[in-house]
Amino acid sequence: MTDYSDIQKARELLNGQVLRTPTIPSPGLSKLTGAEVYLKLENQQVTGSFKVRGSYVRMAALTDDERKAGVIAASAGNHAQGVGYHAERLGIPAAIYMPANTPFTKVARTEAFGAQVILEGETVAESRILAQQAADDAGKVFIHPYDDPHVIAGQGTATMEMLEDAPDLDAIIVPIGGGGLASGCCIAAAAHNPDIEVVGAQADAYPSMHQAFKGEAPHGKGATIADGIAVKEPGELTTPILRAHMNDVTVVREGDIERAVQIMVDVQRLIVEGSGAVPLAALMAEPARFKGRKVGLMISGGNIDSRLLSSVLMRGLIRDGRLAKLRISLIDMPGALAAVAGIIGGKGGNIVDVMHQRMFRDVPVKEAEVDIAIESLNADHVRDIIRALEAEGFGTRLLSDVSLG
Amino acid sequence: MDSLNSSEPPVFADIKDAARQLNGWARRTPLLENSILNEQLGFRLIVKPECLQRTGSFKFRGAFNKISRIPEDMRGNGVVAFSSGNHAQGVAAAATLMGMKSTIIMPKDAPKAKIDNTRALGGTVVLYDRLNENREEIGERMQKEQGAILVKPYDEPLIIAGQGTVGLEISEQVEEIDAKPDAVFVPAGGGGLISGTALAISETLGCDVYSAEPETYDDHKRSLEAGSRQPVPDGAVSICDALLAPIPGELTFSLNSRLLKGGLSVSDEEVLRAMKTAMLSLKIVVEPGGAVALASALTQKIDLKGKTVVCVCSGGNADPEMLSRALSM
Repeated sequence: MTDYSDIQKARELLNGQVLRTPTIPSPGLSKLTGAEVYLKLENQQVTGSFKVRGSYVRMAALTDDERKAGVIAASAGNHAQGVGYHAERLGIPAAIYMPANTPFTKVARTEAFGAQVILEGETVAESRILAQQAADDAGKVFIHPYDDPHVIAGQGTATMEMLEDAPDLDAIIVPIGGGGLASGCCIAAAAHNPDIEVVGAQADAYPSMHQAFKGEAPHGKGATIADGIAVKEPGELTTPILRAHMNDVTVVREGDIERAVQIMVDVQRLIVEGSGAVPLAALMAEPARFKGRKVGLMISGGNIDSRLLSSVLMRGLIRDGRLAKLRISLIDMPGALAAVAGIIGGKGGNIVDVMHQRMFRDVPVKEAEVDIAIESLNADHVRDIIRALEAEGFGTRLLSDVSLG
Repeated sequence: MDSLNSSEPPVFADIKDAARQLNGWARRTPLLENSILNEQLGFRLIVKPECLQRTGSFKFRGAFNKISRIPEDMRGNGVVAFSSGNHAQGVAAAATLMGMKSTIIMPKDAPKAKIDNTRALGGTVVLYDRLNENREEIGERMQKEQGAILVKPYDEPLIIAGQGTVGLEISEQVEEIDAKPDAVFVPAGGGGLISGTALAISETLGCDVYSAEPETYDDHKRSLEAGSRQPVPDGAVSICDALLAPIPGELTFSLNSRLLKGGLSVSDEEVLRAMKTAMLSLKIVVEPGGAVALASALTQKIDLKGKTVVCVCSGGNADPEMLSRALSM
């Protein structure tokens, strides 16, 4: 089993090969959560995630013959980039298996490192089986994303650095997918101070380690914004390490993860991918548990698609009542729309879009419906505007899913 | 600097003094870079992310350097400031930390996030109409009626010295990552950040410092070329709400005219693209005004091939709508 000396060795090995990322205090998130929050910024790591640590340590251990033969891995995301990045720098041929439906941008990003991308399999799990098979057949080394002592030791260096920068943490919250990062975290934290509570956090779509702890069969499925930790089966090497060191694996809701990505942007001005925001989601789900304690959040990565990020931000505005869409019924006569605009403007709402419906919808011919998008201050403000419209006889329905409480 | 209200330009010792004053209060923001982006660009791009500073911009540095020096017996009447947003938040936060009241006069059309944040930091916000009201008059009235101390946004030695700690930190941090910058790019509005930064750089690294501005608000660039302070033409518009000062400051320009190598300017579209690169490659949120130096580097307004450039990303207080707009570029 991997121990602390392996992580120390990995640390020496990684010197100059990956970034020593900063750990920063977050007064903004501290105020929001009631804990004293520190962030380990692995979103700033080369390739945008911690994965380059483990992949380097594994590849540095290859024999000359193994290097010449090349390596194989399976991943559509951060592990692919971690392997691709170092393979190129070390001059090792790399083949990366990805599911057949992988978006072009992810393929291109990995190919840019000079890696060969092979699109086979329906899911990452299937691609992995095919990749492992291909590696066995060709006598090449398969670089596992987490179930490998070198990889676990490499990922542990992130926690080692965090504890150098913030030595007196009371707790660390770390995301769990296959468990490589979390295993390394537990070993490093226990060596630093056995009293540190290490809490693992998973997305509720893929609670595989949580289920393993409870002796349940894993049954993760579906889409999650935390795609970096969407792992169905917990690792064989990592599960016993986590069982030995980690007292708790907490599961966070999908909506809370999305919210955490938004809060990292709003409050901390950092871009964090779904998996990297899971620790913040876990902290916010249980404020009483962490109140007043020094809590380190492992911000594992920052690779989020621009369209996904954009919709998270816009949905955040809607959820907070800062953007709302109203459907307003009015008599089809001159001046009606102006009156509606006057009421909204008078209440301080800013109209950003108007869709006037009277030709093509199933409404009485003397009436019209208009959909108006407004910028507003918050949910109370939206409610206030709706009340004012109704008071003037304009039936109004809220179309967006702002929480009006 | 002895006096709270000195009108002499600061010297390097004032910046070192400000660094001591800020120690433990302001954050020493890290230097960031992305080696893969560097390879694509063909030069080494290092970013000083003041968006990660307390209150989301460098403004806390200057505000705290001034406000924390106000003697106990003068703190009772609070402070007053004019600002479209970032100075407002810096002043509100610094005043609250010192147990002082703060009144911030902000334009009605300032980004909502900045107004909300100023209130959340303990500031009392007074909104005014940019077109029909004179903010100086409102401010003077507050000073007279309430006895509040005015904290200017840039044309004040303690403010310039506080912002100059950005340059001092850069000079220390580039050594830690073994970088030798050929140039430093800094956003310029009134010129406080860049004059302080240029002062620190001139005494340490000695490399070239350039101002970066929106092309419609390129008053520093034109003033440097003319050798005297040139105003922004009437009716100019820009998405860079943090940089809309009408003319370079007097005190700041006395430093900038001596210390800057030149001025660079960028279009709104170049700013939005730089914001997108900041989000996707550097994983930080930068507001439009905070991104002009980065935009100048990414579009190589001067030839940077094979060189090392440090860009100050001065703030990150952008509304989600603006971020979405940048992401759609």
